[in-house]
Amino acid sequence: MMRTTWIIARKDLRQRIRDRSALIVGILAPLGLAAIFSFVFNPISEFEFSADYVVVDEDGGPAARLFVDQVLGGLAASDDITVEELDTVDAARALVDVELDPFSDMETADAAFVIPAGFSSAVASPDEARLEVLASRGSSTAAGVAVAIAEQFAGEIQTARVAAATAEVLGAEGDRADTGFRALAIPSLASVVDAEATSKILDGTTFYAAGLAIFFLFFTVQFGVNGLLEERHAGTLPRLLAAPIPQAAIIGGKAITAFVLGVVSMVVLVAASTLMFGAEWGNPIGVFLLILAGIFSAIGIMGIVGAFAKTAEQAGLFSSIIAVVLGFLGGTFFPIGQAGGILSQLRFITPHAWFMQGLGDLAGGNVADVLPAVVALVVFGLVCGAASFYGVRKGLSR
Amino acid sequence: MTQRTLECSGLRKVFDDLVAVDDVGFHIDAGETYGLLGPNGAGKTTSISMISGLLMRDGGTVTVGGREMTTTSTDAKALLGLVPQDIAVYPDLTARENLTFFGRLYDMDGKTLKARADEVLEIIGLSDRADDRTEDFSGGMKRRLNIGIGLLHKPALLILDEPTVGVDPQSRNAILESVEHLSREGMAVLYTTHYMEEAERLCDRVGIIDHGQIKAEGTRRELVQMVGQHDRVRLETTGSVDAAVAALDALDGVAKSDGGDGSIELLVIEAGEHLTEILSVVTESGVAVSGVDIDEPNLESVFLHLTGRALRD
Amino acid sequence: MKSFTIAAVNLKRFVRDRSNVFFVFIFPMLLILVLGSAFGGDFQARLGVIAESEDPLAQDLVTRLQAIETVAVVEADSAEGALRSVERGELEAAVIIPADYDEAIGSGRTVSVEFLARSAQEASSLRSNVESAITQQAVVLRAARFAESEGLATFDAALSTATATEGFIGDVSVDVVAVGEAFALDELGQFDSSAQTQLLLFVFLTSLAGSSALIQTRRLGVARRMIATPTQVRNVLVGEGLGRFAVALVQGLFIMIGTWLIFGVDWGDPILATVILLLFSLVGSGAAMLMGAVFSNDEQAGGMGVLLGLGLAALGGCMMPLQVFELIAPGLYTVAHITPHAWGLEAFDSIVLSNGTFTDIAVFLLILVGYAVVFYALAIWRLRVVLTR
Repeated sequence: MMRTTWIIARKDLRQRIRDRSALIVGILAPLGLAAIFSFVFNPISEFEFSADYVVVDEDGGPAARLFVDQVLGGLAASDDITVEELDTVDAARALVDVELDPFSDMETADAAFVIPAGFSSAVASPDEARLEVLASRGSSTAAGVAVAIAEQFAGEIQTARVAAATAEVLGAEGDRADTGFRALAIPSLASVVDAEATSKILDGTTFYAAGLAIFFLFFTVQFGVNGLLEERHAGTLPRLLAAPIPQAAIIGGKAITAFVLGVVSMVVLVAASTLMFGAEWGNPIGVFLLILAGIFSAIGIMGIVGAFAKTAEQAGLFSSIIAVVLGFLGGTFFPIGQAGGILSQLRFITPHAWFMQGLGDLAGGNVADVLPAVVALVVFGLVCGAASFYGVRKGLSR
Repeated sequence: MTQRTLECSGLRKVFDDLVAVDDVGFHIDAGETYGLLGPNGAGKTTSISMISGLLMRDGGTVTVGGREMTTTSTDAKALLGLVPQDIAVYPDLTARENLTFFGRLYDMDGKTLKARADEVLEIIGLSDRADDRTEDFSGGMKRRLNIGIGLLHKPALLILDEPTVGVDPQSRNAILESVEHLSREGMAVLYTTHYMEEAERLCDRVGIIDHGQIKAEGTRRELVQMVGQHDRVRLETTGSVDAAVAALDALDGVAKSDGGDGSIELLVIEAGEHLTEILSVVTESGVAVSGVDIDEPNLESVFLHLTGRALRD
Repeated sequence: MKSFTIAAVNLKRFVRDRSNVFFVFIFPMLLILVLGSAFGGDFQARLGVIAESEDPLAQDLVTRLQAIETVAVVEADSAEGALRSVERGELEAAVIIPADYDEAIGSGRTVSVEFLARSAQEASSLRSNVESAITQQAVVLRAARFAESEGLATFDAALSTATATEGFIGDVSVDVVAVGEAFALDELGQFDSSAQTQLLLFVFLTSLAGSSALIQTRRLGVARRMIATPTQVRNVLVGEGLGRFAVALVQGLFIMIGTWLIFGVDWGDPILATVILLLFSLVGSGAAMLMGAVFSNDEQAGGMGVLLGLGLAALGGCMMPLQVFELIAPGLYTVAHITPHAWGLEAFDSIVLSNGTFTDIAVFLLILVGYAVVFYALAIWRLRVVLTR
């Protein structure tokens, strides 16, 4: 039985190698697309936050200088933020109120802080005080940060004012502003503590390499699992059935063909994407486990289509629909899991999502973290594999 | 001079290093059936492809109805109907749709096209399956449709490339009969085959092609004579044959005679013409003839003679 | 005329193949729906908030965070769940408001609010938002704490005084004035950008898949048979191409009208949009004919079709908008314009975003015509070679 299975698989593999389709679908297409995707998307995903701000101090009072020197001065100490002080609002506006033109060398700013004249004296009185932020529509993130900074400062100033007024009401003496500044020494009641989370997100290059690999895997295994329909089409199926070999050997031969094609294409894709464009698949053992389980699930699912389709055309049609829908839903082209909403839950009905999740967990963890995904994929493979084996047996005696 | 339906000469085609067709030329007149007889790979299909403007020539000329044929000459192609060797029909269209489609490509239209399609369906015996998709047809039915498409526009020249390959005897006979019928109606037919019997039955003239060259050409009889072969006549006799043999040897047209036990074997030029004379001589010699068997030399033997190999190599 | 006959048969065969219904009509609409609802619309950074306490101050902080316009607050159940969500990118960051938040503040202790992010830098803007909210919330409390520390009153007494006093003191407000040119895509509706890019992606992809029609015609021997009739190679190719062109056009119109009716997508001037689609379909069918003339195996052409269809779409800005290329990777922006997709998108952007007129998009249209002419010419040349040489 093992021998005949292997003989059939070897014959099928030889046919697949002669017909270059499996090569194109299994290796060339995913690798080519991964190359294009990482070429296109990497500059974008590697884009890092940076902000250029300008500030105009029309006031010059102590509260204004506190903002310019302490708050903004502190910000400018970080690498990704620059702050420049300008003399006039017009000059600042000229830098912020610009048309988007990436090819221009003109200096621009993401936001301008304007401290109007009278700010400091307003702050020292119970009157309303206001700061202004000119936020560039073209750079929403950096402008948003500028607004948050200004509001944070406004909150601090308000704290100082309320504290000084309260103290005064309660009988404290002394300069109101001084009291206010002293009040700022009272620490914020809650401090924000960074707790860094390990990223379990694949970097862009790896994401596309992995997503395309698993997406095309479902097409590649078809070259094996649809083998029976091809034998039927070529008229060689009755010959095989008439031969003194168990039916399971014929089915097994097709499954092995699919498996070998799957392993070869995935291994080549992992190696090539790692060497050619620096994809980081993670711990090889974990990756290999995921690949094996992924191929297993792919053979199971595509096997069902092959088993219940009547003709090769029908099988081709349904396989493509299923592979494409599962692939997209499983987040192989877009990180659907990160989109949130019902889709990010629904995706787990696809093996693709488990595969991608497993790789992500592997990237931010260790080999053991792939186990849930591997188990899920194996379950997919077992359930669908059993169904397709049953279907094929039924079909053979038809 | 009357116009030849097909005139070709000096045809030459080279694929890479292989000279597939070398200096092939012949002509066909209206109502004439010309057979191109040769084994597989002799250059029949390549020649036909050049004649029907499917393939660029490396040399030679082709005119159909006086119009020069090239891969782009639509006026010459309008006169020609091609039945390719491999079935070339859309499997997912019905027989009628296939016919209508190609009819339109021959600038037929409307009622004429519909009437003619019905006519052709009748001729090829597919009237009752006209609206079924051809993928469900048997091999023979597909072949007949394949031929029908070539007949549709009543071409002046019909080219059939091995139309009977892989066809059951019944369909085959139907195909041969319809070719005979078309020829009687005045169509010029170019017929390639590697079946000697078909060439003998259908063709007024035959060109024997091998290794890309026409080795000999003529009517069957001309070809046979060209190689100097005689008809073999065998007479079943009763009684002594010696006298008869002696008398036969003296007869004009009899090359050789041989008496055996109860039979006489003769080699005769034009057995048909001399048979009466032979029979009377034999009867006069007091021998009763109980049976006559004439074995004419066939194209098979001509081919063997010309190329030193059998036709179905 | 003969081309039309050939196109008609091509279409008849297309219609009989039911598989086409799914990929040509259903799938693109599904994808537009899915991508539009998942990724379309205004991007809001997602901040997970885990309030481990129902106390008023903790809840007040949650309310303040929810009030921030640029942040979408997702209330999470557990710190572990939030951590996992952050790690997997389902949230940009998360804050954990501890169970003793109110109690600690009331008793004068400083309490830690944990801020979870994959990288501090990436989430810096969210962190500023959280800090700012805490500062705003703490105004009165800190004032009271200050008065207490100055020995002026007990904390409780100081707190009631501070609360009363705050009412007499004007706000320190931040006026935000938005200036400059907006990032074009921010002005598009939720489904707009995905609808236009998907339109081009699918029209091209479906067209390339249609190259199999020409390949089949060749393999069936019908193409040669056509050449034996008084029909030129170019008529055969143009006919087959016209068939694919019609499919592309119908698919495109279906997507345009469908998304307009269902999702209210703005396609700009309908006539100009149709003209763009028309020319792009012509380009797609030309590319399909070229593939059909070059490849002689269905499955190979299928694989290459997916590779080219998705690859060119990605490069041409159908997956990541051209405007993003333009801002972030100007070199890539230039490269993108090798593809017909980029020119089609430029034309759509012009009519949708800036009410472009025919003259505004004439150049883009002309370039599309150029692509179509080149593709068809190459295809005719190639088909003539494979059929007659």
